[in-house]
Amino acid sequence: MDYLDFIDAVQSLADGVLFGTTYALLGIGFTLIFGVMHKINLSYAAASIGAAYASLLVLAVMKAPPALVFLVAAAAGGVIGGVVYLIGFRFIPLANPLATLMSTVGLLLLIDEIIVHTTQGVPLNYPALFSDVIIRAGPFTLRGDLMFVFLIGCTCMAVLLTLLYRTRLGIATRAVSQQPTAAQLCGISVDNVNVLTFVITGVVGGIAGAMIGAAIGMLSPLLSLPLTVKGLVVTVIGGLGSIPGAIIAGLLVGGLENVFQFFRGVSERDLYIMLLLFVFLVFRPGGIFAAAPGRD
Amino acid sequence: MDFYLGLVQIIGVHTLLGLSAYCVLLTGQVSLAQAGFFAIGAYVAGMLTVLAGWPIVPALLVAAIVAGAMACAVGFPALRVKGLMLVVATVAFGEAVRLFFFNFNYQLERGGFHLGPHGGEGFRQIRYFPEHGWSTLEVMLFIWLVVVLVMAALWWMDHSRAGATFRAVGEDELAAQSSGINITAVKVSAMTIGGVIAGVGGGLFAHYTTHIEHVQFGVVLATFAVAYPILGGLSNVFGTLIAVIFIQGFLIEGLRFMGDWRNLLFGGLIVLAMNVRPRGLIDAGTVAAIRRFVLRCLGKGKERAGA
Repeated sequence: MDYLDFIDAVQSLADGVLFGTTYALLGIGFTLIFGVMHKINLSYAAASIGAAYASLLVLAVMKAPPALVFLVAAAAGGVIGGVVYLIGFRFIPLANPLATLMSTVGLLLLIDEIIVHTTQGVPLNYPALFSDVIIRAGPFTLRGDLMFVFLIGCTCMAVLLTLLYRTRLGIATRAVSQQPTAAQLCGISVDNVNVLTFVITGVVGGIAGAMIGAAIGMLSPLLSLPLTVKGLVVTVIGGLGSIPGAIIAGLLVGGLENVFQFFRGVSERDLYIMLLLFVFLVFRPGGIFAAAPGRD
Repeated sequence: MDFYLGLVQIIGVHTLLGLSAYCVLLTGQVSLAQAGFFAIGAYVAGMLTVLAGWPIVPALLVAAIVAGAMACAVGFPALRVKGLMLVVATVAFGEAVRLFFFNFNYQLERGGFHLGPHGGEGFRQIRYFPEHGWSTLEVMLFIWLVVVLVMAALWWMDHSRAGATFRAVGEDELAAQSSGINITAVKVSAMTIGGVIAGVGGGLFAHYTTHIEHVQFGVVLATFAVAYPILGGLSNVFGTLIAVIFIQGFLIEGLRFMGDWRNLLFGGLIVLAMNVRPRGLIDAGTVAAIRRFVLRCLGKGKERAGA
C-alpha cells in the first residue's frame, strides 16, 4: 500500500469516527431503555428518523435557521418517545417480553408508514450547518458539517452523563434500573421514571436523527431499518446498559465501517460489521467494558 | 382463481416460516435468524434444481439439511447469550447471510442463458414448476402437503416428551436445569429443527416465485417470522397458522381496498393486538374455553343419545 492509499484510509477512518457519534447516540438510547425496563424498543431508530422528519415541518411553515430545526427535532423526539411508551409499553404486562417486542415492531412499521404516507416516499433534503467550512490539516481534510455533528454528539453525551450521575432524576433512573422493587419502596414512581426515560431517550434520538439528516444531507424512510440494526450492534458491542461502552462502540463501528467501505466497497461493508459483532458475542459477550468473567 | 391459489401458496410458505420460529420460541428464545435459514434454503434448492438439474423433492431435502446444519452451527455460539443479546446476534447472522447472497455470484451457462445467483440482481429463472408442467393448483397442493406434514410432526412433537422438555426450558431455565435437562442441547436442537423447517419453506418459496433476491430476506421477513407465532400464541401450532391467515390473508390482501391506508393500519393493528391480547390471539385460556365448549356439546349429545 503506498502513501496515498494510506492517507485515504486514515481520512475515511476519521470521517467514519465523526459520523460514528450518531451511532453512539442511538446506542445510548437503546442501552438506557434496556437498562431501565429490561426491554428492547425496536421502534427507537424509526422514531428518531420520524422526529427528524417532524422537524422539517418547521421549514415548511417558515424560513427557519438550521439550529432551530435541530431543536424542533429534539422536542419532537421527546414527544414521540412519550407516545411510544404509552401505546407500546404502558398497558402490556411487564412479565411478557415477547409482547412488547412485537408491539415495538408494530410501532416501527407504523412510524415508517406514516413517513411514507405523508412524503409519498420521496427522500427530503435536510439542512446542514457549516457545510461550507473545510478544515485542512496537512494532507487531511475535515468536513465542517461532520465536525458540527461530532460536536453536537459530544455535547449531547456530556449533558446526558451529567443528567444521569449528577441529578435526582438520574439517581432515580439508576435506582430503577438496578432494583425496581427497592426503588419503589424508597418512594420512586417506577412509571414516572419509565416515561421520563422514554422522553429523554426520545430527545437524544431526535438529535441523532437530525444529525444523520445533516450529515447525509437528506432523509429517507429507508434509513430506519439499517439504523435499527446498527444501533443494536453498537448496544451489544458496548455492553448492555453501559453508556461509556455505547459511546466507544459507536465511534468504533462508525470508523471501521468507513474503513471496510474503503477497502472492500459499499456492498460488503456491513458484512464485516456483522462478523465483528459475532466475534464480540463469542469472545466478549459482555461488551467492551464487561467485568472479567469470573466466579461470583 | 389463480390469484386465490397464489394467496394460499403464500400462506403455506409463510406458515412454514412461522413454524420454524415457533419451534425456537418454545424454548423461550427469540431468533431473528429464521429469514437467514429461509434464504439459505431458497438459494440451495434453487441452485440444485436449476444448475444441477435435480428433481424438487431431493433438492428440498438437501436445502433442509444445509439450513439445519447452519442453524446447528450458529446455535452453539449464539445460544450462549440470551434475551436482547440473542436477538441482536441472530439479526446479525440474518443480515450477514443476506449480505453474503448480495455479493454471491455463481453463474453457469445452461441452454444459451447464464443462470444462477447474480449478486444484487438476484437469482432469476427458477422455473422447475413451469418446465415440468405443474399447474398452480398442483403447486399449491404440493406446498400444503409439506405444510400439513410439518404441522403434524410438530403437533406430535408437542405432545411427546420432547415438546414437554422444550416448554420446560422456555418456562424456566433454572428449574429445567435442576431437573436434569441439558439446556444447551435442547436449545440447539430446537434451533436445528427450526432451521430445517425454514430451509424447506425457503426452497418452496424460491420455486413458486421463480425469482429470489437478497432484499426479500431482510430484517422485515425475520420479524414476520417471529410475529406469526407470537401473535398467534404459543399454545399450539394452529395459532401460527391462524396468525399467518390473519396477517397475509386479512391484513395484507383483505385490506387492499383501503389503498395506501392499509400499510398504516397494519402496524397499528399489530400494536393493538399486543395491547389487547399480550399472550397471543389464541392463548392457553382460549384453548381451554374451546375445549370446554366442545366437551359440553359432546356431553349434551351423549345425554340425548342416552335418553
